[in-house]
This record gives sequence, C-alpha cells and structure tokens, in this order.
Amino acid sequence: MLVLAASDKGGTGRSVTAANLAYQRSLDGDDVCFLDFDFGSPTASAVFDLPDAVVGADGRGLHSYLQGRTSEPLRIDVWARTEHPALRDRPSGSGRLVLLPGDRTGGEFPFAEADRHRFVDLVLRLRHEFDLLFVDLSAGRSYAADLVLAATSPHGGLGRQGNRWLVFHRWTRQHVMAAAELAYGNAGLVRAGAAMGHRPEVLSGSIRFVRAAAPDLESPPWSQVSPAQYVWLRQCEQVLEELAAARGICKARVLASIPLEPVLQWQERLITDEDVHDHGIAHHETLRAMRDLAQRLTDDEFWGPW
Amino acid sequence: MGGLGTPSGPVLACGEVRTRLLPTSDAVDERTAERLLRLRTDERVRLSRHPNRYAVSPGLLTGVDCRPPSVNGASSRVVGTVTARAVLVEGRVLQSSAHFSAPASGPDRRRPWGHYLGRPGCLIPVGRLPARSVAEGFLAGPGPHELDVGSIAESLMARVCRHRILDFDLPLTTVNTSLRWTAVPAVEGEATSVLFTKADDGLRTVALRLPHGTAPAAVAGLCEDLALHDWLLTTVAYALDGLPAGHEDSGLPKVLRSLVDHLLHLWMPRGHVDRTLHAVWEELDEHTGYSRQWNVMGQRIRDQLVLRAVRSRHQPSAWD
Repeated sequence: MLVLAASDKGGTGRSVTAANLAYQRSLDGDDVCFLDFDFGSPTASAVFDLPDAVVGADGRGLHSYLQGRTSEPLRIDVWARTEHPALRDRPSGSGRLVLLPGDRTGGEFPFAEADRHRFVDLVLRLRHEFDLLFVDLSAGRSYAADLVLAATSPHGGLGRQGNRWLVFHRWTRQHVMAAAELAYGNAGLVRAGAAMGHRPEVLSGSIRFVRAAAPDLESPPWSQVSPAQYVWLRQCEQVLEELAAARGICKARVLASIPLEPVLQWQERLITDEDVHDHGIAHHETLRAMRDLAQRLTDDEFWGPW
Repeated sequence: MGGLGTPSGPVLACGEVRTRLLPTSDAVDERTAERLLRLRTDERVRLSRHPNRYAVSPGLLTGVDCRPPSVNGASSRVVGTVTARAVLVEGRVLQSSAHFSAPASGPDRRRPWGHYLGRPGCLIPVGRLPARSVAEGFLAGPGPHELDVGSIAESLMARVCRHRILDFDLPLTTVNTSLRWTAVPAVEGEATSVLFTKADDGLRTVALRLPHGTAPAAVAGLCEDLALHDWLLTTVAYALDGLPAGHEDSGLPKVLRSLVDHLLHLWMPRGHVDRTLHAVWEELDEHTGYSRQWNVMGQRIRDQLVLRAVRSRHQPSAWD
C-alpha cells in the first residue's frame, strides 16, 4: 500500500509524524519504505537520525532518479545506519525500514511524462519488497503531489494499488481552512485528480485528515488551566469543529489527532518506547496516538467512500 | 562468434540478472506467461515443461556506444549491442537478464552500425579492451557515464511488470536480488572456478573462469539458474528469520502457507543449464551448502505445519 503524506502548509508535523508511522509499522513486523519527496526541504533523514548517510545522496537521491540521472536511487537501511541510540538494536520480529532520501540540493521541479514512468516503475519495484510505502510530499499542491496524482490515476500505472492520502494540519483556523482547501478546493487534490482521470468520489474516499499538535482539553496541562481559560478553549474547540465540518472535514474523515508533544516541538524525532517509559520525556498519549494511527492506515473501517 | 577464449571469440562475457516474484496473487498459466513475455512480434516465446515449467522471451537488443566500467579509470570505448531476455519459472518467479561478450580488440576506428548489428550481444572495443579492468569494474558496479547493464535488465523487468494482467497483490514480501557476473576463459590446464559473493541490498557477484569454447549464452543461462536459486534461498530464509515458534494458541502463520503455496516446489538446480556447465553448480553447492540448506529449511517448514496440525487436533474445540 502507498501512503501519501500531504499538507497545505509547512510546520504541520507531516514529515515527523509520517516517519513515526513508518517506524511503528516496522516495529510491528511490516517491511516499510519511506520515500522523501519533500523536495523543498528533505527532513526525513534528520528524523531517522541519519546524519552521515545522506551525504552520499547528492546525485543519487530521488530527484536524480526521477530526472533520469541515476538508475538506482540511494537506499538507506535505517536500522543499520541510524545514530539514534534506541534504534541501533533492531528488535526481533521487526520488519525492514528503508529510507530513499531526496538529494540534499535541488528543490521543486516540474515533472515530465518520463518522470512519472520512472516513479511508477520505482513504486512497482518496491512493492515486491515492502508492505507499506510512505511518500512524504512537499507542502501544498506541489509538483511532487501532481506527479503522484498522475501516477495513481486509473491510467497512470498505480491506479490499482490501494493508495491512501493523509492530509496533515495543525488545529487552528488557518490550518483547518488550508487543509480543506488542499483536499477539496478549486485547486485541490480532488479537482486536480479528477482532471487527471481519477473518479472524484474514490479519490475523496482515500483522503483522511490528521490533526497534528492538537491539544487534548481533557488531559494536562489543558485540563488544569483556570476555569475562564478552560471555557474559552472549549468555545474555540467548538468553533473549530464546526468550521472543519463545514469545510468537509467531518469527524469520519479525521483519522487521528496527535497531541501537542513538547519533545516534537523541540526536536523532530522518532518517539520510542524508551522516550516514554525509561526517560519519561515524551507523553504516553503521543506514542499511543502514533500507534493507533499507524494501525488505522490499513484498517478498512476507517476508510470508505464517504 | 565462437565461444569464450576461441581464436575469433570473446575474451570476456558479463551480465546481470534480476530476480523477483511475479507480482500477482497466484502463479500464472502457460498462456498468460506467453502473453507476458511476448516482447517481440517476430519471434516466439520459448516454452518448456520439463523438468519444470519455464518460459523465455525473445532476446531484445540495446545498442550502446560508451565507456565500459573499469576499476582503474582506464579510458576505453565499446560499441555494439547488449542482449536481454525475460524468464518466467513455473509462472511464479520472474527474471530479467542482460549480458554482452567482448573480444580482446577491435578496429581502431568506430565502424558504421551495420558492422556491429551483425554480431548481436557483442560489444566490440575501439582498439584494445582492458579486459581485466573491465571485468573487475563490472562487478564493482558502473560509475557515472559508464555502461550500466543492470539498468537494461531493470528496464526490461519494469516493462514486463507494467503489464495490465498483473494485479500486484503479492502473497508475501520478498527481497529483490541482482546478480552480476563475469566470465573469462580458464588458463590452459587450470580447472574452472567460481567465486560467489553476497553484498547488502540483494546484490550478488559471480566471477567465473570457464573452459575454452563455452558459449556466452550458456553462461547467461547458468547465471540465471544461480540467481533463481540464490533468490529462493534468500527469500525463504528471510521469511523464516525471527518466525516465532508455534505457541499453543497460535494459528498457522500466513507466511508459512505462502512459502508452501508459492516457493517450495521451485528448487530445481541445473534444470535448464547447459550440460557442460553442471560442474560449476556442483562446485558452488559443495562450498556453500545451498542444497543442504534448502532441504533443511523445507523440512523445517513441513515440520512446523505437522506440529501445528497435531496441536489443532488436540485442542478442545469451541463446541466442547
């Protein structure tokens, strides 16, 4: 299955959450591949803690591959190469976790027909080896998003592959509106996809939203604020829920809310068991939300034609 | 052109084989295999049923005029065609294989294309060929702007995999392997030899020294067979790695079923290899113990199945 991580704006926690989902699925025994298509600012290698490995990516990364400059994009075995202390001992029973980094230099570029073919061939090749492929797209209706939309259209080569879109947004007015615009707006994914041959209802049914850095008012510190603050927060929450629903992001389309996590505010990283239980630096709720979301990716109950 | 090391023949043959599970939920039948591999209208797909079902596409030629790989950066140029073909074993495992052979020297100036097209699968050097450096460079992998035979094999693989009848509903995840090989004629009086190495990312290399007169196409066939069996071992070993022992309450892991359904019956070393090269497989097998390992793994899978069957019979059913 191809999981496409998109967001309208930067700073939505898209890359870091997607990387965490890849990590969680790999811990569960799935073979997972993470493709860093964030051509503006590749961050996945930082999240996976691979400072040395990406140096070799220039000229051999995904940009170079898509543009035909190399026939084999660089692959990095995260378990073997990471410098994250908790990841160095790969747990028994875990699956492969491989990163295909973007080139360090080289930003967005318009794609040609040949690039789409190369993308399709790459995905088909990786399908043999991996249960789940994550594609981390740059923010907005980027060239990368268009490339993926074209490739996953019914005649694009990946139309029958079971593709799922995650649209990440923060829990604020601007972000909610931007996320809805990215999915359903005039220049959004569904309209653009329809123009490329997608059936709008099918494409729409494969898009789910993930709220990142969303405060949970029922747990600390938000549940311990002053009564006046609490009432105000509640009202804002209500207004936001109504706004989201009015823009098409009804509850059924929200796959998960990832709580506001201080650790992630300071450092884009994988949240591990050790962070929660041994060091006590990350919240248990964050880890649980990541795990639940990771499971829901392949749980058909959460996906449908609505 | 004659065989390896003959007066008019090549002094070097190189190739790469890529091996994958055919991306379908089930093995395909003979007619579908034929449709998949019909890459040219003017030539038929070769089908054979013994000792196992085996389909071979017509050969495809790719014209090249470039620098061959080399270890010491020696600049040389080769012109000609690389030949590639796709193979489907038991309707289940797909291989794409590309290779070329090269004589020790060629004309000092590049000739018109017609000259090269008359010798399909042959790369003729402009001047002398630094054969040893090319052989070593080939196994190390191509540098920038050097001949990349792997990409020719990969594009053929991609072409077959794009076929609409493939559903990509794969029964298990596997490792994609590439096997790069080189063959040079053995020195007079020296025995044939085979050096097999495994690297990360599913890359294998095979350096062969073979009797004079061995046909490059026969070597390619041998290496396809080596690649297939190495892939089978790799895949089954990967699937069994870390498989938990059957506990009282556990059912049959899906992966064991997939192995039985799709892979265990495919072991057939030398099935389609030229008789003169059988000794190479035997030598390799003696050193690596591939067949023994395969038998043990197969037996382990069957034992697991029997144990689980016995357990499920003795477990009280929900109706008791």
